[in-house]
Amino acid sequence: MLKLFLWLRYLRKKKIVFLSIAAVALSVALLIVVASLFNSFINAFEQSAVETMGDIVLAPPIKFAKYRLLIERLEQTVAVETATATLSTPSLLHLGKGNVRAVLIWGIEPGPREKVTGFKRFLCKQKSSSRQPSFEIPGFPEKLGGFVGVGVVAEPDEKTDEYDFDAIEKIIGQQVVLTTGAASRAQEHRGTRTQVKRRALKFTIADIFFTGSYYVDKTFIYLPIEELQKALYPNEAEPIADQIQIKLEADAQADVAMAQIRGIWRWFAAEQLGWDLYLIKQTTVTTAKQMQSQYVAELRKQMGVLLVIFGIVSFSAVLLIFCIFYMIVITRQRDIAIIKSCGTTSIAVALVFVGFGACVGIIGSGIGAILGYVVTKNINTIEEWIRIVFGLKLWKSSVYMFSRIPNEVDWASALPIILSVVIAAAVGALIPAVIAAGTRPVNVLRYE
Amino acid sequence: MYKIILSFRYLFRKRISYLAFLAVALCVFIVVVVMTVMTGLVTDFKRKNRNFVGDCVVGTESLVGFAYYGDFVEILEQADFIEGVSPVIKSYALISPVGTERSIGVEIMGIKPVEHNMATGFSGTLYHRKGDVSKAFEPAYDPNLTGCVVGIDLWLVRDAKGRYSYEASPAETALAVSCFPLTAKGALAKAGVGMINTKTFYYSDNSQSGLARVDSSLIYLPFEQAQLLCGMAGPVKRANAIHIKFKPNVKVEDGCEKVTLLWQGFAEEKSGEKSAHLLEKVTVQSWKDYRRAFIAAMEKEQTMMTVMFALVGITTVFIVFVVFYMIISHKSKDIGILKSIGVSNANIIKLFFGFAFLVGLLGSGVGLFAGWLFLLRMNRLENWLFEHFKFQLWDRTIYAIGDIPNQMDFRVLAVIVLSAIVACLAGAFLPSRRAASLKPVETLQVSQL
Repeated sequence: MLKLFLWLRYLRKKKIVFLSIAAVALSVALLIVVASLFNSFINAFEQSAVETMGDIVLAPPIKFAKYRLLIERLEQTVAVETATATLSTPSLLHLGKGNVRAVLIWGIEPGPREKVTGFKRFLCKQKSSSRQPSFEIPGFPEKLGGFVGVGVVAEPDEKTDEYDFDAIEKIIGQQVVLTTGAASRAQEHRGTRTQVKRRALKFTIADIFFTGSYYVDKTFIYLPIEELQKALYPNEAEPIADQIQIKLEADAQADVAMAQIRGIWRWFAAEQLGWDLYLIKQTTVTTAKQMQSQYVAELRKQMGVLLVIFGIVSFSAVLLIFCIFYMIVITRQRDIAIIKSCGTTSIAVALVFVGFGACVGIIGSGIGAILGYVVTKNINTIEEWIRIVFGLKLWKSSVYMFSRIPNEVDWASALPIILSVVIAAAVGALIPAVIAAGTRPVNVLRYE
Repeated sequence: MYKIILSFRYLFRKRISYLAFLAVALCVFIVVVVMTVMTGLVTDFKRKNRNFVGDCVVGTESLVGFAYYGDFVEILEQADFIEGVSPVIKSYALISPVGTERSIGVEIMGIKPVEHNMATGFSGTLYHRKGDVSKAFEPAYDPNLTGCVVGIDLWLVRDAKGRYSYEASPAETALAVSCFPLTAKGALAKAGVGMINTKTFYYSDNSQSGLARVDSSLIYLPFEQAQLLCGMAGPVKRANAIHIKFKPNVKVEDGCEKVTLLWQGFAEEKSGEKSAHLLEKVTVQSWKDYRRAFIAAMEKEQTMMTVMFALVGITTVFIVFVVFYMIISHKSKDIGILKSIGVSNANIIKLFFGFAFLVGLLGSGVGLFAGWLFLLRMNRLENWLFEHFKFQLWDRTIYAIGDIPNQMDFRVLAVIVLSAIVACLAGAFLPSRRAASLKPVETLQVSQL
């Protein structure tokens, strides 16, 4: 009770204590914002891979046939919910007058792909439709349709970094041309050799997708897998693919699922494709998140370095608490002497100040956590205001991959920060507390 | 004199001042290290961009390009402020190493190597033909073949320390390069006959500009060949850009202004010609404006970091405030005596400001020294960490960074020291005013002694 009374009294009488609370709050808020923004960026980055490729990707070194049988077998396992095939190739796209760009074509099956990645919600026109996504051009069933990334056909506004979707929707229905290469064996006097033959392909833009991930929106074009195969490999009788993208059941464990998938693949490649062991072993079965692991590890490291830097600078807050508590102890020596003369032990006196330090830490951290939460949650609004007021566009999708700043508060990182700061605040109050405990009433309360 | 004596006395006798001193030193140390590294990275990035682009670019973003570039190159070559001029073809292409199934979408740049080296730092980016740029497109294994220079990250892999495993001489490799030839109106030039132009080039060298995006997506081709591939070698030849380097004594802004005037005159003169409409979208940009999209991102990150440090630095102001508040509370008798012998309020404020200045100066001096020592050993420390714990500040297989920049920029240091001193003065402001307002009659009465 006495401790609480003194804490409240010091808080009320010594306004300077609020400075230490402010410093603690500032440090906590900064650390929480940095940790949250980094972690939500990493999560968004990993999620973007899942939304593009599904949970698990099976990628053999060369393209393969009979993929429908493989998908059928995969879907029979407990862990796999559904799977879909893709056929990919780099390409050049001629969009119109003087407008050529390098793109990546993915041949896909829209229905199964929707089940694996849920990509329909990214389509500008078809997202509100109750039907499955389709490449069909209304009124022209004979035309080849394709989905094009929003960044392929338009550039975001220089100032706002936003796309003009009204103008973009007018592009739907336009015919464009792309060129790509298909490998074939050519006869030479020394034997056969692989050569790439160029193919030109005309298609109509059936829809435009906007995932919010700059790389995907800027690079990808989706075409029907059968049509792409016909254009690239006209002599192939069976459907072929170069990747299988798999969605797992909600309760499936990725490691177990990958082991099952590898087993099925080994059987399929050996029995159905007649592949040798070398080719089978060259096939990678990995989660979409693992595919990003090198970059994610780098991001985590940078976050760690940044947190250490700001942590060291935030050490100033501990110094500040020490200064303020030292000042309180020196100016309140009479209070301390009176308390001690009433029989309070030195340890109890020390605990008053250490506890008060911890209280400052708790209050400061609480305010800092609220501030960190508010700033993180509203970071896009803050960034927008900075653009409006100072004309400075801090976040651009072309630089930082995403159209919006990922802004989920990472409480798992925030809690250790808060705990460390409370402990640091108590440590900052430790030496003043020891000085207070060492106060001798006989010296302080003498008449002279 | 008494101000100096008292300032030093407070600094060395009052141990609590060490805390203010320590806080300033800590902040300055961190800011010096971080800002030196960031400034180094930004400066290095800018230097590489300028090396890649030259001083000024006359060009259009459209892949159709613009006509009459040859006439304008002649005008530029006659100008006394220009050192080098290089017309350039730019487009996108698909490349496939012959004999493989691989295809990669890349950017192509058609250049005349000698001219381009006069306008940019092209030869410095080469490995095999560094000393003889005129042979950049002559493969060492057969000079009669048409060569191409490939961005290094398309060709070689970086090891964990950021080093490439260069080959002793270029390996004989044929690359099939395909692109859309475009008419002057931007349509496909070969709309009826396959639409694509393909030609085989032979790897002659690699180019390391140090710019990740360039090195991983660009190949250089001989100018005339690139012009043919892109459909720009018709009766009215076209190019996409002209890169220009100014003479050493010419400022970039002045040079760009002069080039703009020359271009305006040239465009007007050609306004009656058949392909004059292609000149309308041509702009004259300095290297910085031309690469603004890339440079601005790094500059913004530097600004954000500065703002964040400024926020954290507020704590230092608080510390100085508290320390001064305490010292003034303890030294009210000194202040009372000083005022009783006639020292003015302004001089009392000056005394504590002098003390704050001393704390700021010495604190930042120590922080600066510690920062300098740390920066000096930072690369060695990183190597040691990598050898023992596999820790690198930046993974060199991902980032195109060599050593961590550790060259101190004296302008940056001056700003940091000045900010530290200003922070100390700001922290000391209110306590100094309070000290000046103390009345000797109150501080020196018996009950206060």
